[in-house]
Amino acid sequence: MTNIRNRINVTVKSFATLREVMDAQIRMDLPEGATIRSLLAELTGRYEGLNELIFAAPDTLRDFINILKNGRNIHFLAGLDTPLDDRDLIALFPPVAGG
Amino acid sequence: MDGYAGKIAYADLSAGKVTIKPTPPDLKRQYIGGRGFGIRLLTDMVDPKIDPLGEKNVVVFAAGPLTGTGIPLGSRYEVSTISPLSGTAMSANSGGVFGWKMKKAGFDAVVVTGKAKKPVYLLLDSGKAELRDAAGLWGKTTGQVTNAITDELKDKSVRVSCIGPAGEKLVLFACIINEKTRAAGRGGAGAVMGSKNLKAIAARGDLPIKAADEEQLNVIKDRVRKKIEENGIEQALQKYGTAVLVNIINENYVLPTRNFQSAHFPAAEKVSGETMAATILKQNKGCYACIVKCGRVCEFDSEAGEGPEYEPDWAFGPDCGIDDLKAVARANNICNEYGLDAISAPTTIACLMEMAEKGYVKHPIRFGDAKGMLKLVEQIAKREDIGNELAEGSFRFATKYGHPECSMSSKRQELPAYDPRGIQGYGLATATSVRGGDHVYGYMISPEILGSPEKLDPYVTKGKAGWVKTFQDMTAAIDASGMCLFTSFALGAQDYADLLAATTGMEIDAAELLKIGERIWNLQKLYNIKRGFGRKDDTLPSRLLNEPLKEGAPSGQVWRRDEMLDEYYTLRGWDKEGTPTKEKRKELGLA
Ligand code: SF4
Repeated sequence: MTNIRNRINVTVKSFATLREVMDAQIRMDLPEGATIRSLLAELTGRYEGLNELIFAAPDTLRDFINILKNGRNIHFLAGLDTPLDDRDLIALFPPVAGG
Repeated sequence: MDGYAGKIAYADLSAGKVTIKPTPPDLKRQYIGGRGFGIRLLTDMVDPKIDPLGEKNVVVFAAGPLTGTGIPLGSRYEVSTISPLSGTAMSANSGGVFGWKMKKAGFDAVVVTGKAKKPVYLLLDSGKAELRDAAGLWGKTTGQVTNAITDELKDKSVRVSCIGPAGEKLVLFACIINEKTRAAGRGGAGAVMGSKNLKAIAARGDLPIKAADEEQLNVIKDRVRKKIEENGIEQALQKYGTAVLVNIINENYVLPTRNFQSAHFPAAEKVSGETMAATILKQNKGCYACIVKCGRVCEFDSEAGEGPEYEPDWAFGPDCGIDDLKAVARANNICNEYGLDAISAPTTIACLMEMAEKGYVKHPIRFGDAKGMLKLVEQIAKREDIGNELAEGSFRFATKYGHPECSMSSKRQELPAYDPRGIQGYGLATATSVRGGDHVYGYMISPEILGSPEKLDPYVTKGKAGWVKTFQDMTAAIDASGMCLFTSFALGAQDYADLLAATTGMEIDAAELLKIGERIWNLQKLYNIKRGFGRKDDTLPSRLLNEPLKEGAPSGQVWRRDEMLDEYYTLRGWDKEGTPTKEKRKELGLA
């Protein structure tokens, strides 16, 4: 039996074109110790077409993909190895721009 | 040299005369066109001591050599003048079709001086130019003027750039509108036209625009087209328009909300580009030769119009605490019809909202009041009731009531849709902008938030000064070339240099391109210094330097001017006061 304390719950929000392949907002139940990498593995497994939209190659995000953990770009944290904490808010952005 | 129409029209409104002269080769070589032409001609002709709304101010309309040559996104023209809002020597950029038409009518630029006794408009027609009576057009909205001139000339091919009632009423942030919806938005060039009794410039004709080396140009055109088509960012612009930024800026906790009192708007989704696409968007639309087509044609209820773009969407929306997309789009349409800058108008209203809520001004408006906001937009355009005071911009308004800290402006021009407390380099770019509060004179949002061309940490100040300088110089050169700034997500300095070389026949490489941009930047700076600007003005509102953000990842941060400004001045070859040194002036050929 899984101990409830060993699970974390995060909210994932997607934007723009990503919404064509996945939900705009979902809650995910993950094992403690989960990272952005394992979250993305879970998501790409669940949503067909997502992998091609965010990964250029295994382990390499496409250009201009931005992933925020509670408002901070994971690029300035530990990248794909950024650890997740309970109640994190993860925002996934495809390339976007404006002015 | 080629790519140019070859002529400049000098319209002396006081004398009622237009003189046509060839475009000087030196001007082309040193300043390319567009913003470069505008700033050089303007600063040569205008005494720095003048009143921007007096007879002695000058307005220059100028296209670039890449405008209208069929290069993708080569659509822009620039309007340069001494801004009545900020007092700087500034330029405002617009797209659509007018810039191309101006060249097809035979002109690289139009220089307007003096003041007409009665309302006039200027017709550029196949190499000729004449002033025509516009008494019947006075008081009309931009759409009405455009239709009236098209009817009068019985020519659907004519393109019109004009002011609305706000320009006539000298609203300090009145803009110029071409093709009914494209704006040379910032700084109040529309008020300068109004002060001169110049209602419009109309252009028609089909004169050839030839490139120096057509064959080579075609090769480079293909190369840049491919780069633009394959760039993910350009694809997103096409699909969602600029308002797609609402969510990403909000999720970064840097979306100014309620007059910059917060940087996160919980209801942002309701005014997002995604919501727009799913609700009121009818189709997208492009400027001349555009393959991106970021423009939004929106329809709802009995309303039809274009936009809102990201900036007005944010300003009428989150900055006013409003989450009603239709009200935001309606307000944006009013700005286009009356000819108001759709950044300064809403942010001045946001300033009033804060002051009214705090009891500094007696007025019933409150954040979130969409109906009240819509009424205020019209009142500003007509200078009615409190609109007459708001028409002076937020800085003068807030100062008049003893609370200048409520004006979110730099050099008296309202700041755009990003909170510098969480984007340090952007803060430096806007604080040092030579036209006041601004985002398109060096778009640091691109590396600091969007990750293009590379990801820079927005919270870090180290190294930002160099980036800001490069972005500012590069942008000045792009604005001179006639290309849309949005090409810069996909193209680099070498691409622009190659396009310019093939089009004009000039020898130009990436380094020379940046040098020309730097020359334009320094020319604006030197002129502003003569108008009294200095180090004290290269700053942002005290709120941004002293009151830390309270929510999300950038919590606790303020904008850290002191960590960047000296380095920026040094890199620019400026002294501690921000004055270009003798050596720098010599290097750039600026006396
Ligand atoms: S990208 Fe947008 S603003 Fe630029 S030329 Fe195309 S439609 Fe006009």
